[in-house]
Amino acid sequence: MNPRIVAFFVIGLIIFILDIGFNSEQDSKDIYISDQELTSLLSAWKSQVGRPPSDEEIVSIINNFVQEEILYREALLLELDQEDRIIKRRLAQKITFLKQETIPGDPSQEELENFFNLNKDDYFVPATYSFSHHYFSKESNAKERATKAFNDYQTNGTELIGDPFFLGKNFYQNSSNEIKKNFGELFFSAIENLSINEWSGPHESAFGQHIILLKEVKNGFSPPLEKVLIKVQQDYLSQAQDKAIDEYINEIRSQYRVIINPDYKF
Amino acid sequence: MNKSFIGLIVVSTIFLIYATGFYTNFQTDSALEIVDFSIDQPEIENSVPPNPERIPLYGDLHVHTKYSFDAYIFGVTATPYDAYRYAKGEAIKHPLGFDMKLREPLDFYAVTDHGFYMGMIENYADTSSEMSKKEWTKPMHNINRPENVTIESLGERTDLFSSVLSQAIVDPYPYWHPKLWKAWFTNNIQVALQSFDYDVHKSAWADVANAAEEFNKPGEFTTFIGYEFTTSTDVEGGNLHRNVIFDSSKAPIRPWTRIDSLNPEDLWTWMDGLRDKGVDSLAMPHNSNGSNGQMFEVETFRGNPISIEYAEKRMRNEPVVEMTQVKGTSDTHPLLSPDDEWADFEIMDKRVGSRPPTYSMPQGGYVRDAYLRGLTLEWEGRGNPYKFGLIGSSDTHTGAGGFDENNYWSKAGVLDGTDMGRGSVPLTQDRIEQLEEYAELYDQPISIQDIEGRTYADVGFDQWSASGLAVAWAEENTRDSIFQAFKRKETFATTGTRMAVRFFAGFDMQSIDMNSEDMVKNAYAKGVTMGADLFSQDNQTPQFLVWAQRDKLGAPLQRVQIIKGWVENASGTPKEKVYDVACSDGLTVDPITNRCPDNGAKVNINDCSISSDVGAVELKTTWVDPDFDPTIKAFYYVRVLENPTCRWSTWDALKAGVKPRPDLDETIQERAWSSPIWYIPESRKLDIIPL
Repeated sequence: MNPRIVAFFVIGLIIFILDIGFNSEQDSKDIYISDQELTSLLSAWKSQVGRPPSDEEIVSIINNFVQEEILYREALLLELDQEDRIIKRRLAQKITFLKQETIPGDPSQEELENFFNLNKDDYFVPATYSFSHHYFSKESNAKERATKAFNDYQTNGTELIGDPFFLGKNFYQNSSNEIKKNFGELFFSAIENLSINEWSGPHESAFGQHIILLKEVKNGFSPPLEKVLIKVQQDYLSQAQDKAIDEYINEIRSQYRVIINPDYKF
Repeated sequence: MNKSFIGLIVVSTIFLIYATGFYTNFQTDSALEIVDFSIDQPEIENSVPPNPERIPLYGDLHVHTKYSFDAYIFGVTATPYDAYRYAKGEAIKHPLGFDMKLREPLDFYAVTDHGFYMGMIENYADTSSEMSKKEWTKPMHNINRPENVTIESLGERTDLFSSVLSQAIVDPYPYWHPKLWKAWFTNNIQVALQSFDYDVHKSAWADVANAAEEFNKPGEFTTFIGYEFTTSTDVEGGNLHRNVIFDSSKAPIRPWTRIDSLNPEDLWTWMDGLRDKGVDSLAMPHNSNGSNGQMFEVETFRGNPISIEYAEKRMRNEPVVEMTQVKGTSDTHPLLSPDDEWADFEIMDKRVGSRPPTYSMPQGGYVRDAYLRGLTLEWEGRGNPYKFGLIGSSDTHTGAGGFDENNYWSKAGVLDGTDMGRGSVPLTQDRIEQLEEYAELYDQPISIQDIEGRTYADVGFDQWSASGLAVAWAEENTRDSIFQAFKRKETFATTGTRMAVRFFAGFDMQSIDMNSEDMVKNAYAKGVTMGADLFSQDNQTPQFLVWAQRDKLGAPLQRVQIIKGWVENASGTPKEKVYDVACSDGLTVDPITNRCPDNGAKVNINDCSISSDVGAVELKTTWVDPDFDPTIKAFYYVRVLENPTCRWSTWDALKAGVKPRPDLDETIQERAWSSPIWYIPESRKLDIIPL
């Protein structure tokens, strides 16, 4: 064997023994406050108070820090950290943050496009309907009057005349939600099945009968990526974060075995 | 040098600086610093033109989440984001685990957490925070850990709310402490309190604003950045709470709170200051019913006489009042309006937050009385500070307003999330024992009562209501359009029902064809609408036009009323009168009694079903005041009544399979109130410009 290597081993061994000899007990009783720690304590103080601390205040900041550290270590010695729900949760939270932050920076154009294509439904712009209607109030024989008016219109071309409707006669580019809000579900299901530019009726709502002219349906569509880029970027990021956590858990979960008392009565 | 000597120097230096007026050079006002909270949003193409005849948009401007000190103690962990999701129709969880979901989505919503200590309680509860190291935060540590959000934690929470908090949060730092200096230099008193962490507070406020920005979608759904200014008088604990909302993405860096000043006039000064910097806002008082008559006082906060300047300042900042919400309705009180058969509606006659519950004086606490007081003050030449419009809102503390009688969870999280907790269903023996245990443990009086041989919780929640909504007549669903509707008071309040009402006045209303499609257009052109003044035209008699439409999923309409108030010219005596103006089922108003005959609508208390064949889908009419005097100033507002339906307490009993509590109203009549139109005897010497 190369004597140099032997020499290294011997020196290493001596250092190791010395280290054990000098540090075994004292080490756990040393409180070493690093420069970074000090800087961050003082700057935190400064940012909250708005000026640097005085000498007296520095002493008290350090004392507080030391006191906390001592209590913390004594608690560790007593193993108070074991089986503490709050500490567990805090640690779980910390590793979650850590894993969330490990996702790579800005996504490439291709990644965004793939993501967008997979989740197109989320960016779908729903259909809108433009229509007019003649309203026959439930207050006076709605069904009868509406049926007669519509028959007269169809057979003789008589002008359709109804009652004024509270929200008006003409509705422009209303979404399904707006129509349901203003007229109810029943009315919307009628609208959905109408053909364009043809008076139809009577159709029922909570308010009476309606003869409807559907003028235009703008079909729902998926906007191009450029139009919703900001939203897609936000969604991509938050999904990537969730995914990073899930992957991490899945990866290590198989190493764990969960044991529950099979006889436990829930 | 000893400490008191240093103290003397400090104090005399501050005095000197102050006395010489130099202080303004050093002091900055942190509450006037403006932040743009807007976020990048994809542009939405809104090709739908605004509707000049306006549409009614329904919303809630009074919603608390986990950032409110009381909500967090009640077990609420819902965020502002959850609240907005709820408003858009998604289900969110009640602290007790059940789903809360709206019957249909709302058009607008504003999260308005208490500005006072916003975000702080969550911070005390979080054991990793700086604050949580303080001894007195201990009872709050991890209070909302999932296994503690249960009925069993009720005693602990009630105790925290009523005693621990109030004792802990008033301690300032000692006089030598730099935070005290910082508080003075930045005009931000709360920073001087040991229980306060400004960074935590600011970030809670920024989160509230960010949630509003994220959910605001012009044309679809509107949000407002807002908060509650939770003040009260120092004597008698008169509730002077008001909500503040901002008109855009720009808002101050922090809310102005009761720690800055208890005086609402100082709030208005601050709002005026923001307005000068281009940020418009409005404040909306609520629960005047629980103010012990102090919300609509005839003197100022400091007891000085009201002046024209006061009236103008108040109206500039407080154009609308929230007159119905979960803690009762503030239209009027049976003692104030003995001739109004509908005055006894959802009366909550306790001072807000009083312990033990203390009676709240009705005079000065109800809006009809306030309108009369306003006219009286004006008659005395001191301006009218009470010329406001009306809205409702929920004041929920769970993030989710409960507006339907049969889908109700009250507002205080764990405290009243169950029927027994709300006092609508008798307590089981277990719950009685539990309450007795708390009473002993926390040295509180036991809060149970015996009614006809059954034991109920006695906590005051039985006077609370499944109410209310704010409705704005707006051209389109955008922040600007809705905000402007509040400013011109073109609003109405409902008890949670989605009925709608139009109201116009003019001198040529009866020429409008009520069956024409152009009726609304003509009404706008020929008159004024709710919230506006109608100026005299050669002493002609005004004509009113009302049109009400039912809630498509609620009960049909029963009647439309116009409520008139005036002050007699010679004596200054305030008077009021209620006129029925339109009746359902073809019935006509009796000209002697001014009442509709009974339409015979019934409720079956065994299953809460209602008569299916009576009531109206819409009521419309024109009306002329039979007692009109052209020389007298008067206000007119509309009240629309539905047929009776079961009250939430009856629904609770029905679902639990027990008899409804005998001393509570079994049924209610859901209703809407328009903002008034004021008749002004002087002619304005100008053409009336339609709004």
